[in-house]
Amino acid sequence: MTKILVVDIEKCSGCRICEVACSWFHEEEFNPAKARLSIVSWKKAAISYPMICEQCEKAPCKEVCPTDAIYKDEESGAWKVDEVKCIGCKFCIQVCPLGAISFFEEKRGAIKCDLCDGDPQCVKFCPMDAIEFVEEDKVGLKKKRISAEKLFATMQEIPK
Amino acid sequence: MADGYAGKYLRVDLTKEKFTILPTPEEWKRKYLGGVGMGAKIMWDEVPPEVKPLSPQNRIIFATGPVNGTLFPPSGRYEVISRSPLTGWWAHASAGGFFGPEMKYAGYDLIIIQGKAKKPVYLHIDNDLIELKSARHLWGKNVIETTDRIMEDLKDPDVKVAAIGQAGENLVRYSCIMSDYFRAAGRTGLGAVLGSKNLKAIAIRGTKGIKIANKEKFNKLLEDAFRRHSPEGRYWEYIESFRKYGTFSLTDWENAIGRLPTKNHWTGYFENAEETIGMEPMRKRHYKRHASCFGCGIQCKYSSVVKEGKYAGTESEGPEYETVEGFTSNFLSTDTSALIRANYLCNIYGMDTISVSHSISWAYESYEHGLLTKEDTDGRELIWGEDGMDDVIELLEEIPFRKTKFASLLAEGSREAARRTGKGSEAYAIHVNGLEASGQDGRPHKSLGLTYAINVRGADHLTSLSSLDELGYKEEIKRRYKKETVNILADRWDEKLKGYLVADMEELYALCDSALLCKYGVMWPPIYYHQDFGKIISAITGFTEYEDPKNLSKLAKRICHLRRCFNVRLGWSKKNDALHPRFTEEPMPTGPAKGQVVHLEPMLREYYQVRKYDWKTGYPTKKELEEVGLEDVAKELKKRKKLVPVYRGKKAFQIRK
Repeated sequence: MTKILVVDIEKCSGCRICEVACSWFHEEEFNPAKARLSIVSWKKAAISYPMICEQCEKAPCKEVCPTDAIYKDEESGAWKVDEVKCIGCKFCIQVCPLGAISFFEEKRGAIKCDLCDGDPQCVKFCPMDAIEFVEEDKVGLKKKRISAEKLFATMQEIPK
Repeated sequence: MADGYAGKYLRVDLTKEKFTILPTPEEWKRKYLGGVGMGAKIMWDEVPPEVKPLSPQNRIIFATGPVNGTLFPPSGRYEVISRSPLTGWWAHASAGGFFGPEMKYAGYDLIIIQGKAKKPVYLHIDNDLIELKSARHLWGKNVIETTDRIMEDLKDPDVKVAAIGQAGENLVRYSCIMSDYFRAAGRTGLGAVLGSKNLKAIAIRGTKGIKIANKEKFNKLLEDAFRRHSPEGRYWEYIESFRKYGTFSLTDWENAIGRLPTKNHWTGYFENAEETIGMEPMRKRHYKRHASCFGCGIQCKYSSVVKEGKYAGTESEGPEYETVEGFTSNFLSTDTSALIRANYLCNIYGMDTISVSHSISWAYESYEHGLLTKEDTDGRELIWGEDGMDDVIELLEEIPFRKTKFASLLAEGSREAARRTGKGSEAYAIHVNGLEASGQDGRPHKSLGLTYAINVRGADHLTSLSSLDELGYKEEIKRRYKKETVNILADRWDEKLKGYLVADMEELYALCDSALLCKYGVMWPPIYYHQDFGKIISAITGFTEYEDPKNLSKLAKRICHLRRCFNVRLGWSKKNDALHPRFTEEPMPTGPAKGQVVHLEPMLREYYQVRKYDWKTGYPTKKELEEVGLEDVAKELKKRKKLVPVYRGKKAFQIRK
């Protein structure tokens, strides 16, 4: 079963540990600019959210790639970029509806989340447990539980 | 190079509009590490005593350290170092957030600023692009407006901005530098130094990476560090509380030991604080959303909002413990909405909440004793309690602009305001060496008394405070210190051995402020100790010599001595190692520590033994300075007759295992 990354928006504090862990794992340096996920934040309102590749079923990045550089890793289920085939045309970056792909300046090519071959570092290091690694078919169930919890919490607050 | 450093430093001469980029010298890295260490080296070399704090020749240094911007938690801070316009002495202040790591990602370990711009400017750095841009449209704007406008101008919502508000522009002596909107390099008035240079802000972006020396070593330490910040760690209970409430969980704990400054430090106990201004009511009333600094394993940041009443809608990150104390118990007020409002105003105008609240409370206590009258206060009756908070809020709106004579007097800080007012009002200016006392009190926590007295930047809790005796971490004391010292060290009312303890903390925090980690995790809770710094410095920089405790201790001592020598060259001597009489002569009037005073001398003697200072003059010893590698400093102090050739005092007792 393929697992994907799920974010709990209320837990993310915007500390950027996920970004730095990501670049450390992939590039052996600390550099958010080389991370495969990005924290987007509105600091004035203390709002942050990690933009993550959701490993689409019908992946526009794969569809649009003129050199077939994007392929599915059968083991992890992640869409990966073949560095040799990638010509750096940036079509995938433009077409991704989430903005989850970045351009890697040094390698002159696209980079995206590869789920760290099944052991996502962002999940491992997030101190707030804001990112979880969940089996695809459980994602909906998990969301339902979170919504139900909120619903019940609201009901408790309504005076009888 | 793979040594944790960005590798270069930037010097900006505002007078000449000139930028110089040079490799960060190997000597600076090895001998001074970064942060306050490198800052001390540069201040000593470049700022002679004739240079006044607000003159163009003064330097202001933004400094990172080798640990900044890595994954090792919590590594988001940066230090700002200069000579203080509030105290006249050595100045450093640090802030969390995201500015420090961004400096390194842009490629700079340090930004040294000197000179004075002809017109208001801001400094824009985007990796290798460096430019001074006009800040005419920003002058007169507050921190939030300035930050927003710079992001708009540069069309970059992710640019990291450190800016001053109107307080810095108008040279309010305790104005601060604000980064990421809400993070303050708060103490010692560094906002005024930027203001005096016509530098409104620094906006920085970087996309370069940091490489380190030893990946395997680092990964091992990293795993251990994250474990220590998890439920498996020794101090999870405190981290969890910090994470839920923020630093104001301290309000309850300080009040419980009678150490919560109340009514301008008159006492240390605020009745019913737990129910009125404590962590539970604060969380319930004002919590809005969680926030964080870069790379933090503790996560104590959050934003607060006022939900009802005349300040409804006021929203800001914080308040921190120090601000809670400053704007509630300090004025005998339980009005937490006024507190959130006060915090918001200090943040947007860019003022140190500690110094401004205690400068205002100086006026309140002076008024109570008839030393100030309505004529001095623009017709205000300065009264304690919730009803007096309207005037506090009004003054916070006036001080940044020096709107009236009274506001301008308060903008000078409590020491100077009392000096100008005279009539004995000095008794209510609760400062040490010009810096207003923070949310601590030495009477219930004796070692803190010494901390205030010997700190290079005045009455400050971040340079050598020991939380071990304060909050009773006996197990940690057992792990660190000799068996026979444990009970004495753990007793917060016992002055014995505390001079040695404070010296040990001062050295530990010198490493912390130079490698650049947050004090939370080092000072409190006491997660990291010397050996942890030795290992992480070695793994990141490759300076393996610091795994040897002797070399590490030498490094820490070098930094402590050099900062002190900077002050000695300015005229600091034994008489400066003193406390306000409130702490030494007025027994604590109420609360759990009732009757306590600080007996400074025994602690000071021990501290002098460790540092080998001359008991009569407070000057350093030639041999000791040479031993830690400060030969040139010794030479210059000798020329200035501020050096003692031989130490004749007692030998220090080693408390460490």
